[in-house]
Amino acid sequence: MIKEVKISLPFYKTASALLFIVILSLIRGVSVSCEIGAAMEPAIAILATAFCADTYVQEIAGRRSEVWRLYPMKDKLFAISTRLLLQQGFLLLLAAAGYSLFFLFQRPRLFSLMQPEAGSEIRQFVIFLGAMAVTIAFWSVLSNTIACIFRSLWFGIGGSLLLWLLAASSFARRLLDTWSVFSYADRNIADTGDFGWLAGKGLCIALCAVMLLLLPILLKKRG
Amino acid sequence: MSIRINDLTVTFRNNVTAIDHASLEIPEGIFGLLGENGAGKTTLMRVLTTTLSPTSGTVTMDGIQYHEKNYEKIQRQIGYLPQEIDLYPGLTVQECLEYMGALADVPKSLCRERIEYYLEKTGLTEHRKKKMKQLSGGMKRRVGLIQALLNDPKFLIIDEPTTGLDPEERIRIRNLLVDFAEKRTVLFSTHVVEDLAATCNQLAVMKKGHFLYSGSVQNLLDNAAGAVWECMVTDPLKARELEQKYRISSKQQAEGGIRLRILSRVKPGIDCRPVPVTLEDAYIYLHA
Repeated sequence: MIKEVKISLPFYKTASALLFIVILSLIRGVSVSCEIGAAMEPAIAILATAFCADTYVQEIAGRRSEVWRLYPMKDKLFAISTRLLLQQGFLLLLAAAGYSLFFLFQRPRLFSLMQPEAGSEIRQFVIFLGAMAVTIAFWSVLSNTIACIFRSLWFGIGGSLLLWLLAASSFARRLLDTWSVFSYADRNIADTGDFGWLAGKGLCIALCAVMLLLLPILLKKRG
Repeated sequence: MSIRINDLTVTFRNNVTAIDHASLEIPEGIFGLLGENGAGKTTLMRVLTTTLSPTSGTVTMDGIQYHEKNYEKIQRQIGYLPQEIDLYPGLTVQECLEYMGALADVPKSLCRERIEYYLEKTGLTEHRKKKMKQLSGGMKRRVGLIQALLNDPKFLIIDEPTTGLDPEERIRIRNLLVDFAEKRTVLFSTHVVEDLAATCNQLAVMKKGHFLYSGSVQNLLDNAAGAVWECMVTDPLKARELEQKYRISSKQQAEGGIRLRILSRVKPGIDCRPVPVTLEDAYIYLHA
């Protein structure tokens, strides 16, 4: 495990991701605590895209992919899944830290005080973490998949960003409504009892599963 | 273990034919693969490691045909050291080898034993705790070779293993390969003729996708026997004139002039004497 940590979470990546979150919490203004999740979701998606695009293609860049071809598929899949999980875990921790930093830097009014029936701040935070876990999983698997298809880190990041722009456009958000991949950010923040946005997250999970099922085929064909 | 290549052709999408109807048999032991840059050596190795599928022709390993359905079986028998490989820079030598051993499905304890053995053999034991990024080019090459040996492959394919190594390291690697080649097949590609002369008794020479020669080293030397001449000239202009007229396998500044090794079936029209053939002479003579 320690080897996987060293491979998938090198210092330069973790430090730049941390910096990204700190800057985001400094410059993105929120006035009420319930806005934090909406402010963070699209940014976390971009971060996951850039952070995880090299999960496999670092083997191509390091010219190790031809050696990797000789390894049994189950071992390759295990290694890639471990790397993805470690990176996703790190990003989720970072998202949690970022949530707290918003409180520190932006000093938003507490929604739980403004609207006590909305539930506690802890409850909002737990829901935020759940939504972020899915967002991170979706965008990280997406960028890894695109990178594997094109055998390029930059295509992985660029292709995912293109899809991000498309998904983040107001047209797509209006069209997909609760099925949007950013459904958590688009939810009605004043209505904490509305869980319609779970449809979008469900779609993310389904797409994620499809991409993960594609991975062995991609490794076999594109290695 | 023997490898048979029959009428193999590899044509890329841009219509470049890297291997053109080539046939070869690679027997047990160390088999050298020699050829100029772009001759098709690396492409051949990529086919043999199942990275690349041939356009036409067949390859078999101990009777098992290279076909997608057999790839898993074949891949388990192969160890490969590519020409350029950048092993995990953030891991130590030990960690890197353990990681790659685990990926190759080598049981943990067996993997550690093998790492221990090969680190000792390659003189890397004292460097095992160093990070990969702290190693010299030669050391990295040695670690690369160890990773190729971890699954105890029956067929070891190594592309330019001695590149960037100092003479002592090269000899160490060569000796390791000779030890390893017992009851196994090692395909050793290089353009350092000296390395092949010191390790192989069988070799193939590639040029523009074809095999110019395949057989024993001795036969290749015999082909050029009587065609290598050595002469000494004092005038650089005369040396240049000879270079234009004949194939020269070596030119050396010596006391009293320039020493030239001329490759010619007939005695050159200059004061010279026949000399024993080296593999380098034979290789250049083959291209002449």
